[in-house]
Amino acid sequence: MDPRPLSYWWGRAVYGAVAGVLFAFLLVFLLRTLFGFEPLWEGGVYGGVAGLIGGIGFLWGIGCFDFWLGWAKGADISVEDHSFHGATNWRHYFRLNTDHKVIGIQYLAMTLFFMLWGGLMALLIRTELAAPGQQFADGETFNGFLSMHATLMIFVFAVPVFGGIANFALPIMLGAKDMAFPRLNALSLWFLPVAGGLFLSSMFTGMFGAAWTAYPPLASQGTMGQTLFELGVQFAGASSIATAINFLATIITMRAPGMTIWRMPILAWATGVTSVLVVFATPFVAGSQFLTMFDRVMGTHFFAPDQGGDVVMYQHIFWFYSHPAVYIMLLPGFGIISEVIATFARKPLFGYRAMAFSLVAIAVLGFGVWAHHMFVSGMAAWLRVPMMITTIIIAIPTGVKMWSWLATLWQGKIHMKTPMLWALGFLFTFLMGGLSGVFLGVVPIDIQVSDTYFVTAHLHYVLYGGTVYTVFAGLYYWFPKMTGKMYSERLGQWHFWLTFVGTQLTFLPMHWQGLQGMPRRVADYDPRFATVNAIETLGSYMLAIATFIFFYNVITSWKSGPKAPWNPWRGKTLEWLVSSPPPIFNFDAIPQVVGGPYQYGIPDARHAVVFAPEEFGGELKEDTRYPVLVVANQTLVSQTLIDEIRSRDADGLWSFQFVVPVGDDDRSIAERRLATTLAILAGHGVAATGRIVEGDVVDVATEAATEAVPHELVLVTLPLTQGAWMRADVVDKIRKATGVPMSHVVVPADDARAITGASTLPMVMVVAGEAVGAEALATAVRARADAAPARFTIVLALDLSEPRWGAEATERRRTAGVAMTATVNALVSTGVAVEGQVMDDAPSVALPLAITAFAPAQIIVAGVNGEADALAGAVQEAAGDTPVEIVDVGTVAGS
Amino acid sequence: MATTAGHGHAGHDDGAHGAAPAHGRSPLLLSMLLFIGSEVMLFASLFTAYFFIRYGVPNETWPPLKADGEPFELPVVMTLVNTLFLVMSSFTLWWGEQRLAAGDNKGLIRGLWVTIFLGATFLLIQLNEYAHLGFTPQDRAFSGAFYTLTGFHGMHVLVGLIILSMCLRRAYKRDFSTAYHTPLTAGSYYWHFVDIVWVLLFLLVYVI
Repeated sequence: MDPRPLSYWWGRAVYGAVAGVLFAFLLVFLLRTLFGFEPLWEGGVYGGVAGLIGGIGFLWGIGCFDFWLGWAKGADISVEDHSFHGATNWRHYFRLNTDHKVIGIQYLAMTLFFMLWGGLMALLIRTELAAPGQQFADGETFNGFLSMHATLMIFVFAVPVFGGIANFALPIMLGAKDMAFPRLNALSLWFLPVAGGLFLSSMFTGMFGAAWTAYPPLASQGTMGQTLFELGVQFAGASSIATAINFLATIITMRAPGMTIWRMPILAWATGVTSVLVVFATPFVAGSQFLTMFDRVMGTHFFAPDQGGDVVMYQHIFWFYSHPAVYIMLLPGFGIISEVIATFARKPLFGYRAMAFSLVAIAVLGFGVWAHHMFVSGMAAWLRVPMMITTIIIAIPTGVKMWSWLATLWQGKIHMKTPMLWALGFLFTFLMGGLSGVFLGVVPIDIQVSDTYFVTAHLHYVLYGGTVYTVFAGLYYWFPKMTGKMYSERLGQWHFWLTFVGTQLTFLPMHWQGLQGMPRRVADYDPRFATVNAIETLGSYMLAIATFIFFYNVITSWKSGPKAPWNPWRGKTLEWLVSSPPPIFNFDAIPQVVGGPYQYGIPDARHAVVFAPEEFGGELKEDTRYPVLVVANQTLVSQTLIDEIRSRDADGLWSFQFVVPVGDDDRSIAERRLATTLAILAGHGVAATGRIVEGDVVDVATEAATEAVPHELVLVTLPLTQGAWMRADVVDKIRKATGVPMSHVVVPADDARAITGASTLPMVMVVAGEAVGAEALATAVRARADAAPARFTIVLALDLSEPRWGAEATERRRTAGVAMTATVNALVSTGVAVEGQVMDDAPSVALPLAITAFAPAQIIVAGVNGEADALAGAVQEAAGDTPVEIVDVGTVAGS
Repeated sequence: MATTAGHGHAGHDDGAHGAAPAHGRSPLLLSMLLFIGSEVMLFASLFTAYFFIRYGVPNETWPPLKADGEPFELPVVMTLVNTLFLVMSSFTLWWGEQRLAAGDNKGLIRGLWVTIFLGATFLLIQLNEYAHLGFTPQDRAFSGAFYTLTGFHGMHVLVGLIILSMCLRRAYKRDFSTAYHTPLTAGSYYWHFVDIVWVLLFLLVYVI
């Protein structure tokens, strides 16, 4: 690690920025004097050059160019120099860093900081609009607020924020050790504070007021702030392009062995496609801002009609970037949502290839729709209809995605964790925005509602749904991976619901308002809009409170949240196969990808295998597996528990140790359950050991976790009100006492009885007659179960006489059912995997049928009162080679 | 293990991460191509501005009239000669790379020197043209577009010359061999791009 303190780097950065600004002033002054420009003082010119050189000075000071300058000077530097890589304390997050994980978090912190500023501007806008008339801001100031709001939100929040998430997650998901160009990555990051700083510094030089679109001729007037805006966009654009090239190089050249493009997570597809958009579209916004800047600073006449200039040309160039930019702000979000929905619905992503192709289709079509922003601009009229058609066609690939997400949810096992809530909120909110987008794509409607609040409603539904919701989904999803801590689920849910209600309150009425004709970007309005505006202002305050909760949650959880396990969501992609937070170069061993990324619910499916370093050779060995402690008692043998263990085992990283706490209840029951569970798991090839410990669950779990510290503690219980030891505070108590990352799996009571998971155990068919319902039969079965784990089916042949629909037959079936249920319950509650089967036919007909159907490994004939021989006779022939054991369970009274 | 790629002169090919074998593509060359794609779009945006202004000229007179009522006149013949210099420089660079492929480092150095010389000549003639054109960027929209396009291109030539100078320095240090010449290849991609843009610019702005 580089030993120089933060004060050194930031001192240098301030020095670089100030020196740059002073140098720029001097340079411009000298040049203007030399060439005799009048007047000598021209704020925009000085401001523009100062912003540019000062920005570069800052980048130099913070250290972005040190490596390259050192190389150019021939200094002793090495590409193997990792002294700026990784973070071991908080200070490393506040200086230049080349680790993609640190950069990702820096990106997120920085963009969220700008989001706070942009949000503050939104609150000022909404407060001014809370009532008709002027509250505290005149028209000019109001323009400043809304321009600043949109500029910060778009250029330094919505566009780069995905760079943060992808920077963190993508290299790990691809199985790479870092991005392709870590130093370029750092440079891209540090462009952002320069861009945001230029935007914000315009508050001191007169705020720019031409909105984020900065149309001339409005943008050709105005204060020095407008020049700083144009410069800031250049820095933000340079950041985007550099990151995008870096992402593409990473995705194309740095995938792990076996990671074919059709095995990449959708987030990689989305980031790749977005990066192509960025690389080929962003130069257009750079071009448009160069032209307006030259008009302002150099006195050219690009947008002066009387000098042969053309203002509509600006809009064409600007929207040729800024429409694709909408997809730049959405597509990575689509990727995040695909990850989250598949993981929390526990189902393979529906239509993986369609998902990938629709991303590509959206991007390609996105280049052909720009003029739909200009239907009322006076552009060439023939462009309208083609642009309308392409615009509406984009709804098709978007619809493919929407339906694929819904189809993924369909019949999934949906876990309503915070990331999933955001994903579902996204589906609704983005759908609203998408639909009003189709409206707006239609020329006559667009002409009618242009520059009204209908457009404001549309874009906020799109960007709130497509950007804000997806970013939050991603933040909560990867928060455990980024920080190694779990966030507070309760606060997360509060954050979601307040934001969701706030979003609808703020933006839903705007549709109506716009259709009624209230123009956007105006500080005052007709009194008849007073009520809706008041509601919207209220909604925006709700959003502010929700955001406050989010930051509180993030800060407290990162500081003192419970430790996160490697894979809290049971995700399949590669980032969940490394620790939380991941080691400095992500993988201690090279991962080998062997399957698709979303094979949820497919037994034993694996996305990747982590190989040990070459000198150790091959796949991780059993003894190199990390121990996972499973604490359970009543839920042993349940399908949920077996599935849970098997899905973890598919990672290939864990060995499982069961600890079964027993209290006053019968120890033999716990032993039987444990033996059965271990046998089932062994049948699935899962290595597990187990022991029974007497005592309270908290004490037992704590003791076991301190003896040998496990990687993770999995507590499996019945729901809160049903379990023997499940109290509300058990999870927290164990967590506090052990300090080990913990997962809590809740098994529904019905499921705890199910034995379908026992399919790997040998099937024992118990043929019984009148013994069904008697304790003696249960005892006999238990004795067999204790001898060797097995699953049982008790078969009772009723031998009903004709007709079988009469009252007598019904009554006999009912009695037999009650008796069978009693026996099965008695056995299940003592840990035996058993089912009952009542058949109508005589034993000689029914039992051979049953033998064919169940294909048992062993048959036990349990007869009472001397019926055993008759029953045995009925099974003898059909049994064939299957061993048949005859057990006399004695006499049963009353039969 | 290397965690960076493409910036070094460590003698190995760039992007040599242990975890990324078998894709067979150099991240540096790929990035250069993507960057050039981005640059193409930047020039596309400027050409868009140019054509909007060109087709907005009243009465479709071409060349348009200056502020003083005289038509803009561009020195086509001189620029044609200058264009030939630049086109030639692409071939000399290619020749230098061929020499390196034949194992002749000295040939590469000669090729680079000639290329840089031709590029610098182009830049100087272009500056000289600016001084004698008889109109300024402030004259009319057309002149602004003309200076923006040629100025942006000139800046790119300058960047190209810097890149080639760095390659030249490394050629003197014998960093390049028949097996390893990725930075040189990336630099030559950039130079050919600058060249092709100029040919387009010359045809679209000066000739037609």
